[in-house]
Formats: sequence, structure tokens, C-alpha cells
Amino acid sequence: MIEAPRMISLGEWDARHADLAADGLKEAWYGGPISRHVDQGDTRLIKLRFDNSVAALGLWNFLLTEEERLLRAREEGYKLVGAMKDLGTVPVLAYSASRLRAFYPDGAWWIPCVMELNAGLLGIADSLGIDDSFCPVRAMLGAFVTEAHFPIPDLLTCSVGATCDDFSVIAQRLNGLGYPIHWWEIPARRRPDSGEAAVRLPGGFEAPREQVAMVRAELERLRPLFEDLSGERLDETACAAGIREANKVRRILRELRQLAYAAEPCPMPALELLIAEMLAIHFCSDRDESARVLAGLLNEVRRRVDRRLGVLPEGAARVFWVNPVADLHAMNLLEECGGRICGTDYLFCHAYDEIPEGMESMEALARMALADPMIGPAADRADRICRDIELFGAEAMIISRIPGASHCATEGVLISEAVRSRLDIPVIEVEVPPLIDPVEATVRTRMEALVEMVRERRKS
Amino acid sequence: MRTVSYTCPFVPAEWIAAHGLHPARIVPEPAGLATLPGAGEGVCPFTAAFFNEARSAPPDRAVIVTTVCDQMRRMSEWIEGERNVPVFLFNVPATWESVTAQRIYRSEVERLGRALVQWGGRPPTEEELSRTILAYDAARSRLRDLRGVLAAGDFSKAISDFFRNGPDAACLAAPSTARSGSGERGVPLALVGGPLLSVHFEIFDVIAEAGGEVVLDATGTGERVLIPPLDRRAVREDPFGTMVDACFGELPDAFRRPNSGLYIWLKEELERREVRGIIFSHHVFCDTWHGEARRLKEWSSLPVLILDTNSGVLGARTVSRIEAFLEVLK
Repeated sequence: MIEAPRMISLGEWDARHADLAADGLKEAWYGGPISRHVDQGDTRLIKLRFDNSVAALGLWNFLLTEEERLLRAREEGYKLVGAMKDLGTVPVLAYSASRLRAFYPDGAWWIPCVMELNAGLLGIADSLGIDDSFCPVRAMLGAFVTEAHFPIPDLLTCSVGATCDDFSVIAQRLNGLGYPIHWWEIPARRRPDSGEAAVRLPGGFEAPREQVAMVRAELERLRPLFEDLSGERLDETACAAGIREANKVRRILRELRQLAYAAEPCPMPALELLIAEMLAIHFCSDRDESARVLAGLLNEVRRRVDRRLGVLPEGAARVFWVNPVADLHAMNLLEECGGRICGTDYLFCHAYDEIPEGMESMEALARMALADPMIGPAADRADRICRDIELFGAEAMIISRIPGASHCATEGVLISEAVRSRLDIPVIEVEVPPLIDPVEATVRTRMEALVEMVRERRKS
Repeated sequence: MRTVSYTCPFVPAEWIAAHGLHPARIVPEPAGLATLPGAGEGVCPFTAAFFNEARSAPPDRAVIVTTVCDQMRRMSEWIEGERNVPVFLFNVPATWESVTAQRIYRSEVERLGRALVQWGGRPPTEEELSRTILAYDAARSRLRDLRGVLAAGDFSKAISDFFRNGPDAACLAAPSTARSGSGERGVPLALVGGPLLSVHFEIFDVIAEAGGEVVLDATGTGERVLIPPLDRRAVREDPFGTMVDACFGELPDAFRRPNSGLYIWLKEELERREVRGIIFSHHVFCDTWHGEARRLKEWSSLPVLILDTNSGVLGARTVSRIEAFLEVLK
């Protein structure tokens, strides 16, 4: 049953799911009505508005069953790798072994939002001395301690160096609690000195060849760990195949973003696109299934774009969004205020770039890791943001600050100044806590003002 | 002689000095957030203070910022944007157990050498480098001899003096404030944490007045960041390699991954100095040290007092807490 695209409540989804099921809807084994996740504690879903497509249903169920799927994978004999502070590199390597499943324990940062603080994870982090002066990713500590939100991985990796202090400290705290961690170094990407051998990275940045070689050496240290864990040899053939498969996901996402962010009217809500983008970095614990889910979403967007169908009225203010939000509801809020997403930098835009093929795999992965916008100068990140704003035709930018995150205190100013001076578009900064409710009125007012400004500028 | 300012102890001062430049490790004066227009809540006061010092320094100064702290790394861009001074971002690896980490550090020291030449320095010969390293080593040795001779606060200020002025520091020539009084010692304490702002050196007096004595200054401006004595023969045979190994390998710090070395070092020193209590001090929004507070408390069998400091002087509440802590320990 194909309905006109629109955003619906959870209750409406229940009714729609029942209709679809009666019409013979075929879902993956983890499928079902979204509302059943509320019974498991995901109460924030009640407040959200969802896209009404079957593809979006698949996306939500894929996201919300990650723990269940990981447990099942373990039962089936897969070994689990927790790839911490890793935005799209280690999972590619891990999935090159057929018996490994990598996931992103940092993803627990959304649990306080999704469960509306009822899981008590932030309280556990508090009790471990990691209080609210740290980023909400501290929820991960609670998730490890309670063992209630994901299975404890068989192996933990964590990149450190040019990463945020919050996560580095939280991971060290975890390590201090007795969880062994394989640390690997990601150096601060610098611009090559004059005359220094340089490498062009995916996404357009450059790095000194020497830095690429060092990151490559770090990744080479991880390879035998995965071989030992999986009992498989991760030779060049296996790793190259892993990269090809990862690139399939990235290509889908790339097309999805290009279509969804450029088309008028807006064919897919911001929330579903945020979740789709998150799949790029860790495949939500199942690479092949994430490709299938994303392909479904892409097909839906294609269909809507072909028919000029949208979930929002034409003319919504085109907004570029910087940083992921701790409360998913913030994305709905933007749309309620008359905005729509036209381009994003959720901290990991390098994860949509294709990993170079036709070269040694570890070299390719090292280049990929160094393309991370967060490990280089904020000016580099701002440069990529500006390019994407132009590409998607965004008319304004929102920088959402992550409470407590070490990079947010100073980075936003540098990015907003760069964007204002180069593109002359309005910019606002808002802070989004795990539950936006206490500050919703303020955030809403600021968003409305931004949208109003965009409309005024259109007139002139 | 051009001055090169820095604040991270992982910057090899010997290397700068051997290039004929003056390394000056800054212990910054406090500065409010107003010095960082547009910055949001969450800036560590030490980072803000360092930025303020860097931007108000004489124009011929060069600045080295390191990556041991995310906010400091990002501050390098602020400094570059604010002033037309040369800024070098020194990549200090957080990991230390791998060959790669050691290579990265070594490579960064070499790269720093090229920057120093651009800033007016000249590459040292092996002999010059060796001589400089040994001079610093001897100075550190003289400095350590001052422990127990000087009052705790003066000893820590002497360390800062050494870092600012090198082997020619006045404190090494003639200690001015030898310990006075009856020789009665206070309750032996360790002060643990990141680097102090200049204004926070008053904590030594506050502790002394409350009946305590800092016998181990394990802050980022204290003994913890003094490289242990070097093998002089190794210095003569391979000055560069010995310097690199010492500067990267010998300093325990909270930012290292894993940071077990910090606790190994602390255990030895706490026992050696017969410490009876620990005062742990971190700046507000210094994640790296803040995150260790509870862990230290769990790890140590000694009483631990956790203080957080901002850019101001120690407030009455902090002083009261120190007094109460010592009252319990007496």
C-alpha cells in the first residue's frame, strides 16, 4: 500500500503497520510495529514524527534492534568487535572477516534520549566520576556496566590522539574498570610542509605521506587481532573485498544524500536521513543488511523525487546542519519551524566518501582515517562544509553544540565565521541536550528566527 | 635571541635551546572567557589563559602548542587567527607502547627542528646538542636537590623558573627562600593534577597554613614533569635519540593511553615520600584530569580530596575544604 509521503506519529504508524501487515507486508526477521520498542523502554519514540514509508519502517526497526541482532550474531558464532571512537575505518577492516561483527559502543550516547533518561546510564557515569561536564557519550560507561544495551564485545579497539578528550577519558575510565582496549593512534592531520611528500585524501584534504604511513602502521597492528579473533586470514584479497562492500554502502548513502538534500520538495525527513547517515560509520552491526535497508530508502527517495513528492511543503528553508544531535527530536523541530535539511556534517562526512580501491587496502584505510574532518584543523572542516553548502544550495546553517564536548567550546566560532565570511548565510548555534524539552522553547525560537531570516533574504 | 613559548612538558626545551633560541614554558596568568570572543561554555581556564598569554606576547615570539589536550590543539588555530606569530602544532601521541607512537614523536621533534631554523635558529651539531642536553640534565639534578631545602611552594616555583629560564634560572644559582622555622613538618601530602595557573600556586601556602606540606608536587607544573636523570654516556653517543626517548618515554601523564604509567609512578613516589593524603586538583572543563579524579580515589588507599579550580584565586570554600581535610589527617 503506497501512501502519499508524510510524517506520522507513532500511533499512526501502528495503524499503518497493521494495514500493511494485512496487505501482506514482508519484513526482515527483526521487523514489526515500531511501537513495540516503546514497551522495551524507548519512550522517546512517542514524541517523534516518522516518515510513513515501508523503507523508513525498515530503517527504524534495523536501528532499534541492534542489541537483539548482536546477541543473535553471537549465538550464531560471530565474534563481536567494539570499534570505539572510530568513524568508519575499523569496522571496514573487521567486516573483511566473515565471522566478525563490528559495532559502535559510542552509539550508546543516544540511549539517554531514546529511553528518556530512564535507563540510568548517565547516573552510572556520574557515579564513576564522569559527570555532566562530559559529552553524553558518557552513557556508554553505563551501558558497559549494566550489560543491558549491547553484549560486551569480544574485542575493543579505540582510536586516540586527535580525538575529543571526552571520549578518550571515558575509554580510559572503561579500561581502568578492567575492560582491555587496543588503542591505536590517529595523529592530528596537518597540512604538508612545503616540499613534503603529500597524499590527496578522499574528500579533498591533503596529508603528509609520512602521516599516512604511520596510520597505516597502526591499522596493521589491528589486523592480526582480528585474524586471531575470527580465525580467518585477513589477506589483501579479503581486505579489498571488505572495502568494496563498504563502498557499496557509501555509494548508496552518497546518492541518497545528493537526492534527498537537493530535491524540492524535501523527499525524506531529517530524522530518517540522520539515522541513515549514521549507518555509514559502523553499519549498525550488520554491513550487508545495512546496505539492503539503505537501498530500500534510496529507492523510496528516488520514487518520490521522480514524482516530485515530498514530506514537507515546497519552499522550506534549506538548512545545513553541523554536528549530530543528542536528542533526535531536534530534527523534527527544525521541520516544524519551517526548515529542512540540505546538507550535513555530523562529524563523519568522510564516511560517505568512497575508500580508494586499486591500492593496498591498509593504505586505502589509512587515507580514509586521515580524511576525518575532526582530526584536522577546524578550518579544513569549515572548508568542506562550505563546499557542501554550495553543493546542496543551503541557505542557512545550524551548529548544534554537544553539551560538554571538548571540541564544541571553540570550534563552532571558527566554523561559523568561515561560513559567514565565505558564503554570507545566516548561522545559529544551539545546544541540544539528550532531552531537549527544558530548552525546547528557546531552541524553537532560534530556529524560527533563522527560517524567518532565510525567507526575508529570499524576498530581497 | 628569539623566545619560543610553550606550556606542554612534552616539548623538548633542550632541542629549542640547542638551536640557539630561548625556550620559555609559560605558567599563564588567569584569563576570563572574554579573551575568547564567541567561545561557548566549556573552555578550560588553563587553555583560555594560555591563549591570552600567547596573543599578548611580544611580536617576535613563536609559540608551540601540542596535541596532548583537544582544546589546546584547537587553540592553535585561535592563536594563528589572532596574531601573526608563528605557531607550531606539535603532535604528541597519546599512545606510547607502539613503535609507531615513538616514530611519530621522533618525527615531530625533527619537524620542530626545521621550524626552529625557520624561526631564526640554527641546527645544532651533535656536540652542541649533547652539551645542551647535559646542561639541562645537570640543572634538573640541582633542582631536585632543592626539594626539602626550599619550602614546598618555593620548590614548585623553582621548577617553573627552571622551565621558563632553563639552566640559567636564578633559583638554581642561589636559592633565595630556604625553608625557615623549627623544622617541624606538616602532614605529608601529594598534590596531583594538571598544570597550575600562576595564581594557584597559593595552594602551597594554604596547605602549609592548615598544617600540611606538599612533599610530592605531581601536577603538570611540578616534579612529575621533570625528566629523570639521563645516562650521560648515552647522551654523548646519541644525543638526539636519548633526548627523544627521555622526553617522550619518561613523563607520566593522564592523557597517555593507557595511562597506567601515571599510577605506577605515583605508587612509587607516594610510598617513597610517605605521603598521608592526596589533594587532587583539576581545572573545570579539563576532561583529561577531571576523568582521573574518581579513579584515583578508588585506586589509592590514602584519603583523597578533589578540588576543581577555575580561573580565579582559590575561594573560601576550597580553603575550608583543605583545612577540613588536614584536620582529619592530623
